[in-house]
Amino acid sequence: MNWIKRLLGRRRLYTDLSQEIREHLSEKIEDLVASGMSREEATHAARREFGNATLIEERGREVWQWLSMESLIADIRYALRMLRKNPAFTVVAILTLALGIGANTAIFSVVNAVLLRPLPYQDSDRLVVVLHYGVAPVSPGNFLDWQRQNHVFTAMGAAEYWTPNLTGIDEPERVWALHISSDILPLLGVQPLLGRMFLKEEEQKGRDHEVILSYGAWQKRFGGSAGVIGRPMTLDGERYVVVGVMPRDFKFAPFWATKAELWAPLALGDRAADRGGNSLRIFARLKPGITLEQARSEMSGINSRLEKEYPGTSRDYVVLPLKERVVGDIRPALLVLLGAVCFVLLIACANVAHMMLARSAVRQREVAVRTALGAGRGRIIRQLLTESLLLTLAGAGAGLLLALWGIHVLVALSPAGIPRVQTVSIDANVLVFMFVVSVLTGLGFGLVPALRSSAVSLNDSLKEGGRGSIEGARGQRLRGLLMASEFAMAVILLVGAGLMIRSFIALQSIDPGFDPDHVLTLVVSVTGSQSADATSKAAFYGQVLEQVRALPGVQSAGVINHLPLAGDLWDRTFAIEGRAAPRPGEAPDAIYRVVWPGYFHAMNIPILRGRDIARSDGMNSPGVVVVNDALARQFWPGQDAIGKRFALTGSLPNAPWLTVVGITKDVIEKDWAHPPDPEMYLPYLQLSEADQAFLHYLTLVVRTAGEPTSVLPEIRSQILRLNQDATISQVDTMPAVIREATAQPRFYLLLLGAFAAIALTLAAVGIYGVMSYSVSRRTHEIGIRMALGAKAPDVLKLVTRQDMLLALWGAMAGIVFALALARGMSSLLYGVHSDDPLTILGVVLVLAIVGLAATYIPARRATKVDPMVALRYE
Amino acid sequence: MHGYALVQHIKRTSDDLLQIDEGSLYPALQRLLKEELVEAEWGISSTNRRVRTYRLTPAGIKHLNQEVSNFERMLEGVTRVLARGEA
Repeated sequence: MNWIKRLLGRRRLYTDLSQEIREHLSEKIEDLVASGMSREEATHAARREFGNATLIEERGREVWQWLSMESLIADIRYALRMLRKNPAFTVVAILTLALGIGANTAIFSVVNAVLLRPLPYQDSDRLVVVLHYGVAPVSPGNFLDWQRQNHVFTAMGAAEYWTPNLTGIDEPERVWALHISSDILPLLGVQPLLGRMFLKEEEQKGRDHEVILSYGAWQKRFGGSAGVIGRPMTLDGERYVVVGVMPRDFKFAPFWATKAELWAPLALGDRAADRGGNSLRIFARLKPGITLEQARSEMSGINSRLEKEYPGTSRDYVVLPLKERVVGDIRPALLVLLGAVCFVLLIACANVAHMMLARSAVRQREVAVRTALGAGRGRIIRQLLTESLLLTLAGAGAGLLLALWGIHVLVALSPAGIPRVQTVSIDANVLVFMFVVSVLTGLGFGLVPALRSSAVSLNDSLKEGGRGSIEGARGQRLRGLLMASEFAMAVILLVGAGLMIRSFIALQSIDPGFDPDHVLTLVVSVTGSQSADATSKAAFYGQVLEQVRALPGVQSAGVINHLPLAGDLWDRTFAIEGRAAPRPGEAPDAIYRVVWPGYFHAMNIPILRGRDIARSDGMNSPGVVVVNDALARQFWPGQDAIGKRFALTGSLPNAPWLTVVGITKDVIEKDWAHPPDPEMYLPYLQLSEADQAFLHYLTLVVRTAGEPTSVLPEIRSQILRLNQDATISQVDTMPAVIREATAQPRFYLLLLGAFAAIALTLAAVGIYGVMSYSVSRRTHEIGIRMALGAKAPDVLKLVTRQDMLLALWGAMAGIVFALALARGMSSLLYGVHSDDPLTILGVVLVLAIVGLAATYIPARRATKVDPMVALRYE
Repeated sequence: MHGYALVQHIKRTSDDLLQIDEGSLYPALQRLLKEELVEAEWGISSTNRRVRTYRLTPAGIKHLNQEVSNFERMLEGVTRVLARGEA
């Protein structure tokens, strides 16, 4: 316990030491006086011979200390005192840093959750998906062949979208679900929370009436009851039995059908040999030791064999890592945002470095005094760095609060389609990132000022006796460099934001082809109810339309299978009359829409030529079809498509000829900025029974006079009166659908714009600060010049010229970097090139205005200087 | 002996051959104190001053002997090398 005693007796030791030294000196002085020196001389001589008493005393004390620890504490105490003494400086610096660090932390936590964290499956980096062109589904025939023939996957499974009607409950509901083959859950490596997974034999028709519930569905529909296993559910009018419940954090599928709340076995039945109906997404796990490349080459081997056997069915399939499929689309956007916040932080650093530099000039004398008292250069650098690190830590603390709030806002504002955004949180990774960023920041803005101010020349600083020194050329250069780089970074951010703005304007000006205002849409389904057969289904929809049209406040109404933008997208191949049969896999195809008469009117889609689908186009009249302009132009270029005939292929043999009776304007189909693809509209009432049965639901489109949702309760009760088992889902308005479709670019624009605004503000504050500082330093000089006859404009020129030049250089460098970096964000842009000259010009203008304003105010102050005051200054 | 006396002693007995920085004595003394090789005590000197005198502890004496013999051996080595060089 020796060290405790020592710790307690430390003060005693120190007083002993300093007394001892004082006694030593006085004894020496006495001796020297005794030898005939004057007292004054003796004092000087004694001090000279003794050396720096303070320093020696400190060295003596250090013997007893845990050196680094204690001087660190002393440094921190001192730093806190200095920071308290300059509250304005401290608050501004901490806020600036908090902005930079907070923004970085918030964006990084999104990057961490979305891009970096593994998917919630076992060894998720060994999971792959097989998709047509990497996006589209696969036919059952191909899937089963791959499953049988490959040697590279431990397991391969398929999933198919399913939206059954859940009935037998108070309010029938359409639910999101998936049919999955029995391999899926084992290959994901996730165990059910309750019950079991699916068995191989449940992939047979008739044995497939089991469901596994998600945790959420279990809680919502069964109150989390432990006895849920074995309970029945009515889906599409058939009885299913609950066999399992998945754990809370289990989600499947990760990139599409993400809202699935229950899973049932995938029984392909007589579809097993189908090579045309592409509806399956394939998941597989790589065997240990097999690389992605090996799997790809094996799959392409299998596919080229299949392609010979079944021409046109097995090309362009892509094996992708599952994670790539989930996050690949979002990665460029997130990286752009991360880059943007990095620049914000750099600008914040530059600003604080400015402030530190300006302060270090003021503190030159303090440093000189400390050096004179025996502080080594290393010691002073350490002290100054302690100050900057303290500032950063305070900034990081405030930044953390800012980040917590920022994450909250980000998640709330984030558009659909950013995967896993709900899991964004501040975890250990984020904290480590923040810590590293903070330390780097502290060193970044602290090191250079510390090095500079510790290198003071003792004599000069002390000799100046209170007058602020005129800064050396090196200080000026450093400051100039900081300012120029701040400008450069602001340019880069502004160019990014400017490009997003331009691209957003371009997106906003796209004509969707229909009039979205006052349009209510809802999905109606009667699958599984008494009126599920074709005749009564058609009658039901006919009655719904009629009654809805009769409602007060409803102007028009229509029905379509899949709503543009929001709905599904089915493709059908067809054969054109009089043309040679195309080679397999090259048949013409178009988006397949099925409508009731009145749809185009309700949506306000202009018929360019020909006629609308009419009530008279029924089962007993010749088949008709309306096509969009794109289809007409692609398949009958330079001719009139009206009157031409084609037949659907791929379903029934001998499908009837359909005559083109009308051509509509192109309408946005799926993606907002995607150019229109060929599209056909068939009358529902002329569909074959099989084709009608495929449509499990239809979408009702209602144009209202007033607020669209105001008629919803009426519509709902009308529909339920006609069929109490009908389900109504996806209630939406067309304007909302459009907002949703443009939500991602809007979100990026918002974020980039916010970052650019912060950057611009910081840069302006920085420039203002630098200018005010240099004006105040030069007050004396300005006074002399004015006393000698310089006019205000001369002074203005004098103080602004150099900084404006610097800003110009910075801006130019920024443009060069921005042009290079903007290429990285071209995938986020629409209708504007990454080197758009208008954007760059705009940015330069904005910066010039801000720069001028920030320079002008302090410069004006310089010209107002009264020569007499200035000459007496300080 | 106290600090100032120690300095004077070194200067005197070495006939000013060994000049030491007076101040540097004190950190060295602190180190010895910490290692418990010396102990210190406030007292009154012969010139009637309040002084802090240092005395070797038994451990200090042992350590001193060891250091002295080390030093002597080194010195002897150096002397021999130099002697051979001359021959």
